[in-house]
Amino acid sequence: MTTVVSVKSAPITPGQRIRRLLAAREAGVFIALVLMCVFLSLTTEAFLSSRNLLNIGRQVSVLGIMAVGMTFVLITSEVDLSIGSIYALASMATGILIVDQWQLLPAILVGLFIGGVVGFLNGVLSTFGKLPSFITTLGMLSVVRGVALLVTNGEPVTVNANSGSLPDVLAQFEFLGQGTFLGLPMQLVFFIGVAILGWALLSLTTYGFRVYAVGGGVKAARVSGIKVFAVKIWAFVIMGVLSALAGIVGLAFLPSAQAGRTGAGLELDVIAATIIGGASLAGGEGTMLGTVLGVLIIGVLRNGLILLGISPFWQTTIIGLVIIIAVGIDKWTSSRRVS
Amino acid sequence: MSNPVIELRNITKRFPGVLALDDVSVTILPGEVHALLGENGAGKSTLMNVLAGELQPDSGVILYKGEEQRIPSPFVAQRLGISVVHQELALCNNLTIAENISLPASANNPGWMPISRRRFEQKARAVMEQLGLMATNPRETVGRLSIAQQQLVEIARAISQKCEVLILDEPNSALTIEETEHLFSVLRKLRADGVAIIYVSHRLEEVVRIADRITVMRDGRHVDTSANDNTTVESLITKMVGRSIDYFRRQDDIQPTTNRALEVQSLTCEKHVTDVSFHVNQGEIVGVAGLPDSGKDELVDCIFGLRAYTGALRIKGRDASIHAPSAAIENGMALIPADRRGAGAFLVMSVQENTVVSSLGRVSSLGILHGSSVQKVAQQYVNEFDTRISSLHQKMRTLSGGNQQKVILGRGLATDPAILLLHEPTRGIDVGAKAEIYRILHNLAAQGKAILIVSSELPELMGHCDRILVMYQGQISGEFTHQTANEQAILSCAMGQ
Repeated sequence: MTTVVSVKSAPITPGQRIRRLLAAREAGVFIALVLMCVFLSLTTEAFLSSRNLLNIGRQVSVLGIMAVGMTFVLITSEVDLSIGSIYALASMATGILIVDQWQLLPAILVGLFIGGVVGFLNGVLSTFGKLPSFITTLGMLSVVRGVALLVTNGEPVTVNANSGSLPDVLAQFEFLGQGTFLGLPMQLVFFIGVAILGWALLSLTTYGFRVYAVGGGVKAARVSGIKVFAVKIWAFVIMGVLSALAGIVGLAFLPSAQAGRTGAGLELDVIAATIIGGASLAGGEGTMLGTVLGVLIIGVLRNGLILLGISPFWQTTIIGLVIIIAVGIDKWTSSRRVS
Repeated sequence: MSNPVIELRNITKRFPGVLALDDVSVTILPGEVHALLGENGAGKSTLMNVLAGELQPDSGVILYKGEEQRIPSPFVAQRLGISVVHQELALCNNLTIAENISLPASANNPGWMPISRRRFEQKARAVMEQLGLMATNPRETVGRLSIAQQQLVEIARAISQKCEVLILDEPNSALTIEETEHLFSVLRKLRADGVAIIYVSHRLEEVVRIADRITVMRDGRHVDTSANDNTTVESLITKMVGRSIDYFRRQDDIQPTTNRALEVQSLTCEKHVTDVSFHVNQGEIVGVAGLPDSGKDELVDCIFGLRAYTGALRIKGRDASIHAPSAAIENGMALIPADRRGAGAFLVMSVQENTVVSSLGRVSSLGILHGSSVQKVAQQYVNEFDTRISSLHQKMRTLSGGNQQKVILGRGLATDPAILLLHEPTRGIDVGAKAEIYRILHNLAAQGKAILIVSSELPELMGHCDRILVMYQGQISGEFTHQTANEQAILSCAMGQ
C-alpha cells in the first residue's frame, strides 16, 4: 500500500504543534504586533498605560467593526468600496430621526436597515447583475454619498442638547458612544461583541463554512450544491449592517456628521486592516483573529507614531508601506512553500 | 448478469458544423470498470458530459436503473448518484480534506447551523478508510496535496454521497506509476462495492489492466464494446484508428535543404522534457507528435523562451541564448500558440492591430505608429492568406477560428522569422480553413522557412511533415520520415511500446 501523505493524523508532538502554530498566517501578524508593542513600551512612557491602551482600543473600534464585515466579503473573493458612504448615510439617518424625537431603538434599526439594504443591492448587482463588485461598490460609494447629501442638503447633522431630541434618548445615545461598560469604552465593547459574533459565524456555522468554500473554488462550491449567490449576498448584507452600526457608534461618540466628509476614505483603512490580517483579495483566505490583529496593528502604529512625536503626515505613508510589506512577506513565503 | 445501471440509447449530439455523437448506445453495469477509448474528437468527453448533465442530447434516451431519466444539470446527476472526477479538479484548495468531503452533505443545511469539524473528520476518515487511504490526515489543506492526492479526495467526496456511477475523465494523465497503482487499488475496492466506474483514458496499457469491458469510439460513433479478455494494446489501436482518411499529402517536389535553421541540443525542462535533441532544416516541415502529457507542449514553450530549461539552442549554426519570447523573436522565431483565444488573439483589438503587434518597430518611427504602414502590412497578409474579413478594423473576436489563425500567422510572419513554431495550428478550425493553412505552410517551406509543428492530430502531421518526431515521457521515442510514417507505428511510439 502506497503511503499517500506522510503526515500522520495522531499523535502530534508538541514540536509539531508549535511549528504548525507558527506556520499559521496570524502568527506573523501577532509577532509583528508584539514587537511593535515592546518597542513602544521601551521608547515611550505613555504607551503601556491603561489609559493609552484603552484609547487605542476605542480609536480602532469603528475600523474594527467594519473590518469584521470586510473579512466575510473578502473571503468570498469580493470587495466592498461603498462602506464609507454607508457609514455616513446610516449614521445621519439615525441622527436625523433622533433629532426628530424618535425613540432610540427604532432610530438605530432604521440606520441598520439602510446599511443592510445597500449591502443587499451591492450583493445582487455583484452576483445576478454579473458586475464585478469592485465596480458595483465603486458606483455605490458615489450613489450613497450623493443620497446622503441630498437628504441633508449638505447641512451637518448634530445630535446634542440643543438639537431638539428627547433628553433621555439623547443620554442613551451618548452612552453608546461615550459611556463605559466594565471599565471599557462602549465603542470597544461593540467591537469586541461584533468580533466574537463574527468569529462564531465564520468559524462555527455552516454559513461560515460556505463562505470559505465559495472563496476557495466557485466551481467546487457549485458542484457541491452551494448557492453561491446567496452566500455572497449575505456577506454584503453583513458588511452593510456593520458599516451602519459603525457609523451610528461613531456619531454617538462625535455627535456631528456631515454628508460630504464623514467616513470618506474609511473603506481603504478597513481593507488595509483586513488584508494585513491575512485576508486575500483573491478570496478563500482570512480569519477573524487575523483581522482583529490587523486592526490592532493599524491602531498601535498610529498611536505609536503620535507618541513618538512623528509627523502625522508620516502615518499615511507608513501604513501604506506596512500593507505592501505585510502582503509581500506573505506572498514571498507562500510561493516558497508551494515550490 | 445484473441489470444495467445506465443505458444510453441512440444518443445524438450535434454542435455547429460537427456531429459530435452519432447514434451512440452504451450500457454500463454495476460493479464494472468500463473503459471508454477513442482519439481526440472521438466523442468520449461529449458522451460523458451528456451523462453528467453538462450537455443535453439532441436525441436519444438515458435509462437509469431501467427508467427513462432526463439529466438537465450536474446537480441532478449528482443526486441520482452519478459523480464525475474531472480532469480539472473541482476542489476548494483553501479547505482541508475533511471539509471538502463534507461540503456537499451540508449543502441543504440552514446557514446558522453549527458545523462540527470533528464530525467532518470522522466522516472523512470513514470514507478514506473505505478507499484504503488510512495514512492521509484529513486535516491537511487540499491545496498542498499533489494532483494524485487531490484526485483521490475528489473520489472520496463522490463516494461520501450516494454514488452508483463514478466517471473518471483521464484520471491518470498527471499520475506517476505508483500513484496509478494506488488509484487502481481504490477503483478495485469500489468495484467490489458495486459501483459502476467509467474510465476515460488514452493510456491503453493501463486500460487493458483495469477494465472489465472496453468501449471504443471513433468520429462520434460507437465502434465496439467488448469484454476485456486477452485484449491487446495493438488490437485497441487498430479499433481506434481503423479508418481511411485521404491525407493531404505533400504534393510539391521541393526538397528541404540541409542547412540547419534550428538545432536543439539536450534540452531539458524539469519534470517535462529530458535531454531532447533534434534539428529543423531550412525549408523543412518537422512535426512533433505525442500524448497530452508527453512533454511536447512544454518543449515548444522552452524553445520559444516561455519556460525555463537547460540545454542549448543554435540558430543558423550560431548559439542563441533564448530565455524570453522577446529573445526568440529577435533570433528570428515566431510562435503560433495553441491557446488561440488566450495566448494568440487580442480579441477586442482589430485585425490590423493584431497583425502588427509583434513588429511595431517596422510600422512606426520615434514611437509613433504610421497608420498607412500598419494598413499596408495587415492588408498584405490578408491578401496573401485570403483571410475573410469585412475590414481591417474588424474586431478579432468576430472572426471564425480559421480566420483568426490566419491573422495570427500573419503576425508571426510580419516579424520576418526564419523559423516558425506552430502549436496545435488547426485546433478547433473547420476542414476548409485547415486545408488553407496547410497550403500556406507548404508555401512558406518552399520559401525556405523552417517549420516545427507540435500537434495532437496525427493525420495532420503525417500529411504535411517531412519528418515526424514522437515524444513519450519527455523524450523522443521515435522518428519517422514522410515515407516511413504510419499511424499505428506512431501511436505505438507515443505510448512507449
